[in-house]
Amino acid sequence: MKGRFDLIGRVAREEWRALARNRVSVVAGMILAALLVSAAVLGVEQRNAIEATREHHQASSDQQFDAQPARHPHRMVHYGQFVFRPLSTLAFFDRGVDSFTGHTVFLEGHRQNSANFSEARQSSLLLRFGELTPAFVLQTLAPLLVIFLAYGAVAGERERGTLRLMAAQGLAPSHMLAGKLAAYGGMVGLILAPPALALLVAALVGWAPPGPALLLVLIYGLHLAIWAVAAVLVSALARRSRDALIVLVSIWMVLVVLMPRTLPEAAARLPAPTRIETDIAIHEDLAKIGDSHDPDDPYFSAFKAKTLAKYGVQRVEDLPVQWSGLVGMEGERLTSQLFDRYAREAFAREQAQNGLVRGFGVVSPVIALRQASMSLAGTDIESHQDFLDQVERYRYAFVQALNLMQVEQIPNRDAGEDPRISADNWKRVPSFAYVAPDVLRVAGDRVAANLAILTVWLVALLALVAPVARRLRKDAR
Amino acid sequence: MIRLRYELRLLLRSKVSFAALLLLLALSLAAVWAGLSASARQNAVIDRVAAAQGRDLAAAAKQYGKPDGEAGYAAYYTFHLTSDRPSSLAFAAMGQRDIQPYVLRVRLLGLQAQLYETETINPELALPGPFDFAFVLIYLAPLAVIVLMHDLVSGEREAGRLRVLSALPTPPGVLWLQRAALRLGLVLSVLLAPLLVGALVARAPIAGVATLSLVAALYVAFWTGLGLWVGAWGRRSAFNAAALVGSWIVLVLLIPALGNAVLSRAVPVGRGVDLTLAQREAVHHAWDVPREAIMDPFVAKHPEWKGTPPVGGRFHWKWYYAMHEMGDDSVAGQVAAYRASLAARQGWTERLGWLSPAAAAQSLVHRIADSDLPAHLAYQDSIAAFHRRLQAFYYPYIFNERPFQRADFDRLPAYAPRAPSGSTPVVPLLGLLALTAAICAGAVSCSRRTTG
Repeated sequence: MKGRFDLIGRVAREEWRALARNRVSVVAGMILAALLVSAAVLGVEQRNAIEATREHHQASSDQQFDAQPARHPHRMVHYGQFVFRPLSTLAFFDRGVDSFTGHTVFLEGHRQNSANFSEARQSSLLLRFGELTPAFVLQTLAPLLVIFLAYGAVAGERERGTLRLMAAQGLAPSHMLAGKLAAYGGMVGLILAPPALALLVAALVGWAPPGPALLLVLIYGLHLAIWAVAAVLVSALARRSRDALIVLVSIWMVLVVLMPRTLPEAAARLPAPTRIETDIAIHEDLAKIGDSHDPDDPYFSAFKAKTLAKYGVQRVEDLPVQWSGLVGMEGERLTSQLFDRYAREAFAREQAQNGLVRGFGVVSPVIALRQASMSLAGTDIESHQDFLDQVERYRYAFVQALNLMQVEQIPNRDAGEDPRISADNWKRVPSFAYVAPDVLRVAGDRVAANLAILTVWLVALLALVAPVARRLRKDAR
Repeated sequence: MIRLRYELRLLLRSKVSFAALLLLLALSLAAVWAGLSASARQNAVIDRVAAAQGRDLAAAAKQYGKPDGEAGYAAYYTFHLTSDRPSSLAFAAMGQRDIQPYVLRVRLLGLQAQLYETETINPELALPGPFDFAFVLIYLAPLAVIVLMHDLVSGEREAGRLRVLSALPTPPGVLWLQRAALRLGLVLSVLLAPLLVGALVARAPIAGVATLSLVAALYVAFWTGLGLWVGAWGRRSAFNAAALVGSWIVLVLLIPALGNAVLSRAVPVGRGVDLTLAQREAVHHAWDVPREAIMDPFVAKHPEWKGTPPVGGRFHWKWYYAMHEMGDDSVAGQVAAYRASLAARQGWTERLGWLSPAAAAQSLVHRIADSDLPAHLAYQDSIAAFHRRLQAFYYPYIFNERPFQRADFDRLPAYAPRAPSGSTPVVPLLGLLALTAAICAGAVSCSRRTTG
């Protein structure tokens, strides 16, 4: 038993020595390490800059709101509120869809505005080459480094004739393969060290949530291990190292470059109505419910009768509260219901499109990795939707709080030409308090599923080691 | 000619080379088809929105087009559709058309509060970027060139033929140049044939297609030159392949991503948010100041409304729309600064073309296809112009207090699509030319010295 591990260890050590002697591989590894470090530093710096800008905008917008003079509350409903989406700390590692989603929403009464000023819309096309984050380096470039280091692992021995030599000296191909795998497993650990360190430090100092940070290290480790095992296996099967390189780079190209681009093209065929069509549909639905300006409208007549009965009066003029404010609140309630329904439908459609792409995660571990990474970093589309949901809930509460001020503080009769309420009221309107979602709770299922896919891939590839070793033995004879 | 045919037969006998060319042809075809269908989808969306807008407008006309209808109400409740159809070359390079809205409705209210609205986009689908001809050209064509070029010289040496080839009467280098040219020609033909078919289908202008093809030729020539240069060093095939893929990573992935990271920090664009905050402040402040504070500067700007009936009562549409226009005017400086920061990003992106042929090609093809950031800004400019037409249309009704009736809805100005703004930017073209010329010159001089 001990002898076997000795042999495997010796093979692994030899492979390491060969890699360390190869100047090109050392330089490439160092470049990648430098890239990872600079991407992490740049990522933290950029994330903090973005967050600081958003915080600054939020603070100045809140301040402006509180500083408004005495007004009619309905004016403030249209003065509105700007809310800005805070950026998760782990966004330094994976920016996810954040650059493609607007980060600020203008909230006002009876309208649902879009999230605007996404980075992608305000950048040149350069942004579409990808954003330099540790996630980009680990997803796109690190597999290539693994390929470049490992494509000759076995095929090179074959070309030099040392494969037969080793077999003749009694080194079983399975031990040789195990040794090579151990060597490249160590290599994966080395590649992963800088980003893992960054994540662990971020978690230890309490800057980033520890659970997601650790899971990020795990999924990227699995991902690179998959590439390392695949590279060694292809190298063992290829006749020449050049063939191994071509096969591996082709696989990389299909999985990392081609599939992520072509799948969305298929998904985009699923129809989605534009915002304009949704606005028009909501407008038509509202018109169907009733017209509050029409005295004979059945819906609002019923609402009037109910309100009068509630306050025990005969005419709206006798109400102790402001009637048009009550109508405004009812209108807001109706529109918000429609907003919620249409938003749910739109998100369901979006998820149907994404489901089509994500389904291929089973085929391509890269897709599973990207999804899990965005989820853990809190920059996936679900986190954005959670922000939008919180924003809409807040918008409703905010508008209704102002409407209630109108109901209670504006006189129902003889309010004068320009009724206003005191500016102190604006300070009592709550400001938007974003609750960052706990990604393990919100995205736990999806992360677990993607983690399972990555694990199955790794296990399946490792299961291939035995048959490949048998083939090597046959070759060596 | 006969030699060329032999060379061709020799090249295509290599399974890997043949497969690479076939794959590139298939991908180029698929990309052109995907681009055409994405263009068609966008056109269909615009038609669909126009139909819905027609319904909405009819409802507004019915509700507000009364004999004593007030123009103020009509202008408040009537939305006007603008749209930006894909250019006939957009199928080849969709650029930002997947994230920038190409339909937008505006009203007579302050434009700056309406101009930056977003359309429904699925960010997860947009994240990897569109699959179109530009992608195949910039990312995949170099890889095909690498497959064809990496063993140009070393393959002969490894097969033991190099000495025999050097002994031929052809001067040294000419053989390699001919072979490289043949590979360049092959890659270009499989790449461009689908593009030309697509251009015919989309009825794209010949000049645009020609410039696009020229850019493709220069870009592929750069990679062929690089392949020849690396091949002429005389290293093993595997080393050449690794070196070329390494260059691809640096030039196509790394320099653009680094450039973007630097650019987004060096040129911040937070002014967009600043200007909308300022515009809101200006518009709502107007409710708290005397009427004259709004109307005096407005009338100074529009003397034609000087003699019209004065604004009275608690609320008046004249004052309302004047205050929206003045709100826009008050942030004109900030809008200009915001636009300048966007233009600066675009300018530096084009300059990056001196460093990376991929960045140069990207700037070029999308400018030619009119689907980049400047294209969207041109669309925004056309919306602003249309908004001014709306003002010119509604103001006479509002300021002369003329009734706005049903028939007036038929006179509403219609948005005229912007003129195509596709062009050939000089900076990235020079950058690409310089890079390609330098690489090819280096390759030629180096390959001359390559002998057995």
